[in-house]
Amino acid sequence: MTECNWSREQFALLLYGELSFDHEEKVEAHLDRCAECRAALEREKALHAAFGAIEIEPSPSLLRRCRDDLRMRLMEAAPPRAPWWERLLPQSGFLRPVGALTLVAMGFFAARILPYANLNGNFNAASAAGDERVRYVEPAGAGRVQIVVDVTRQRVISGKLDEAPIRGLLLAAAKDPSDPGLRAETLGILNAQAASADVRGALIYALEHDGNAGVREKAMSGLAPYAADPEVRNALTVVLLGDSNPGLRTKAIDLLTHGDVDREVVGTLQELMVRGEQLGYVRERCLRVLRAVNASAETY
Amino acid sequence: MLPRKSGAALASKPSLELDEAALIRAAQDGDHAAFEQLVRAYDQGVLRLAMNLLRSPEDAHDVYQEAFLRVYRNLHAFRFDCSFHTWLFRIVTNLCLDQMRKRKVRKEEPTVLATAEGPMDRMDAVPEERVDGDPQRYLFSGQLRRKIKEVLGELTPRERVVFELRHYQGLRLRKIGEVLGTSEEAAKNCLFRATQKMRAALGDFI
Repeated sequence: MTECNWSREQFALLLYGELSFDHEEKVEAHLDRCAECRAALEREKALHAAFGAIEIEPSPSLLRRCRDDLRMRLMEAAPPRAPWWERLLPQSGFLRPVGALTLVAMGFFAARILPYANLNGNFNAASAAGDERVRYVEPAGAGRVQIVVDVTRQRVISGKLDEAPIRGLLLAAAKDPSDPGLRAETLGILNAQAASADVRGALIYALEHDGNAGVREKAMSGLAPYAADPEVRNALTVVLLGDSNPGLRTKAIDLLTHGDVDREVVGTLQELMVRGEQLGYVRERCLRVLRAVNASAETY
Repeated sequence: MLPRKSGAALASKPSLELDEAALIRAAQDGDHAAFEQLVRAYDQGVLRLAMNLLRSPEDAHDVYQEAFLRVYRNLHAFRFDCSFHTWLFRIVTNLCLDQMRKRKVRKEEPTVLATAEGPMDRMDAVPEERVDGDPQRYLFSGQLRRKIKEVLGELTPRERVVFELRHYQGLRLRKIGEVLGTSEEAAKNCLFRATQKMRAALGDFI
């Protein structure tokens, strides 16, 4: 291979700054004495720059959609949990082998002790009913089987809504991804406390992000008395612009246009008109409000 | 246009590395706000990588969702053996590679669509740099863009990924090797092949 060919093959890596020091020196030395290769390098630089012409920057609306969808999917996803043996192992690297040995030893002694304890006796099938869940099963030899059962104990707690433990449990239940009925019922109870910031935050979160329209409706009814609050107005605007439920959008426009209409709302209504709003009631309401404040229905 | 804040740039600052480690540990302990912060730190880079590799907003959206769900499910197993950025981009590039290989087999998803106004390249909807009213330059620029896209489509999925990570994401070859689970030398060879193909196909345009 000639020196020219070898040098030209290095141009791409040279431009990316990925050549070794020796190779870069060699290419530079060759360029000093070869005008043709200097011209070839200029062409390579032009090619390099041209690649930038097709780079795509994702639109902000795509990014927003990705984030919103991810938030919903995470709400639906079960919380990730490490396997139980991982949780028992220490986090520190050098202690992990010691932890692992401890677990093996525990297993060994448990295996020696347990056959003479509970699992050796007759298992009372009736006790398995209710809030017990078989975690795993394994053969224990001699025709027996060993079953590990998770037992969930129920407790009844009662108290006032403003007591911290009760409030904490309710706020957690309002986000429980597994049961929309529980979320709706919880929000129905919390609505009475919407004057406090933490409850209002939970209602706003549910209104913007809950996948169930019934739950979102509960949240909206709790927020209705606070429709003048800027954060509530933002959430109502989100619903008006993008909620899939026509009933909720109708309620949102009623709440946003009740009383004085500010500039943000006017902008939102104009955006709806420009988009070609399909919902008759919302379109009518937009037009009526825009006319009342002498705002154009075409531009914003 | 969104501000550029690549994960590589983020991870290069020691104080942010410390913050990131704390965020990861908090997220591993079930702190949702910490997980969301981690997502926000990297998701623009993830979406840009997926969008540029797959050239389809829907596919990029799917890769974004799947990548962060995998991170969420497996974060407890993350042991800081590599940087979070490397781990995340390994997940994203694997998802994109799978998608590109499927396309190669199915020969699907032409970028040119039939529309009421005639054939249209979906990616032509993406705004290009202005050529300031010069019609000839505009025409040339359009032809060049189409040609580059065509040549990129002819690269193998691995060449495509290496080229993307080096040219558009600005990752060093050593890091690309880590992301793809290969050596720096293999990544260098891949980039070398990709640029040779590009040069051969685009030489007449430059």
